[in-house]
Amino acid sequence: MSSSIGAECTELKQKYDTCFNKWYSEKFLKGDTTPECEDLFKDYKACVMTQVGRKKLPRTQSIKPNTRSSISQVALKEKQIDTLLADARKEAPFPPPSQSSSNSSS
Amino acid sequence: MRLFKTVHDYDYSWHMVSAAQWQKYPNEHCPHVKHVDVLDSSVDPETGVLRIERLISVTQKAPGFILRAIGASTTQYVREVAIIDPKEKTLTMNSKNLTLSNILSCEETITYAQHPTCSDKTTFTQQATISAGTTVSRMAGMIEDWSVQRFQQNAVIGREGFAKVLEKFVVLAEAKENSASN
Repeated sequence: MSSSIGAECTELKQKYDTCFNKWYSEKFLKGDTTPECEDLFKDYKACVMTQVGRKKLPRTQSIKPNTRSSISQVALKEKQIDTLLADARKEAPFPPPSQSSSNSSS
Repeated sequence: MRLFKTVHDYDYSWHMVSAAQWQKYPNEHCPHVKHVDVLDSSVDPETGVLRIERLISVTQKAPGFILRAIGASTTQYVREVAIIDPKEKTLTMNSKNLTLSNILSCEETITYAQHPTCSDKTTFTQQATISAGTTVSRMAGMIEDWSVQRFQQNAVIGREGFAKVLEKFVVLAEAKENSASN
């Protein structure tokens, strides 16, 4: 399993990954789409979001301060990758609303 | 701007390939992929479509002229959104670099879909658009050429690396199925 951007989050990530991989093969692909592993994901995500907020980028890649991030985690308010992510999400939400509704036609 | 496209068939079912795909990293063939983190995961209750957003941390060796242009940092970040439709049997991954986008933008779309005529095969399609930004207009051609070359190399090693993961995954899955049916 791959490691996390924050060394201290890797263990939480691997617990989540193990749960996800089992769910994906044994439930999701077989038609049971009820989410599982949500508690494990919450713990892992909280850890990684703190790390993402702390990572600083070199000066040449720094970006103008964003007006307001839509993500609420305190650590995320700091800067950098979290700001880039917020901008990218606005620019390309994936999937666009029209696409997701056309999926249900089949 | 440069375009890149490759198509490849895997001799395994979409179920097998799409599940193995989540275990692609770490991969000795792809040491440039350092970390993979899941940022979001949700199922649309109406359609049953799963959406997963990930942050991928990558280090890439680059020629001096590119490193000087980007400030010599080698760790870059990529945002990826995967959409998995289990009914249609498609897995689509859209990714774009978060860092350096003023210098170079790389947008990639990967699709794993059940083969149109052969249900125990999976068709892999990889498409990318690479374009150097206006801040480096004088070097744009050089940067794009280098990037496309590197993208092609990574595409090949990525596929080789995934083939190994897939074979191992299939062996394990079959062993598990046999032991369950006994």
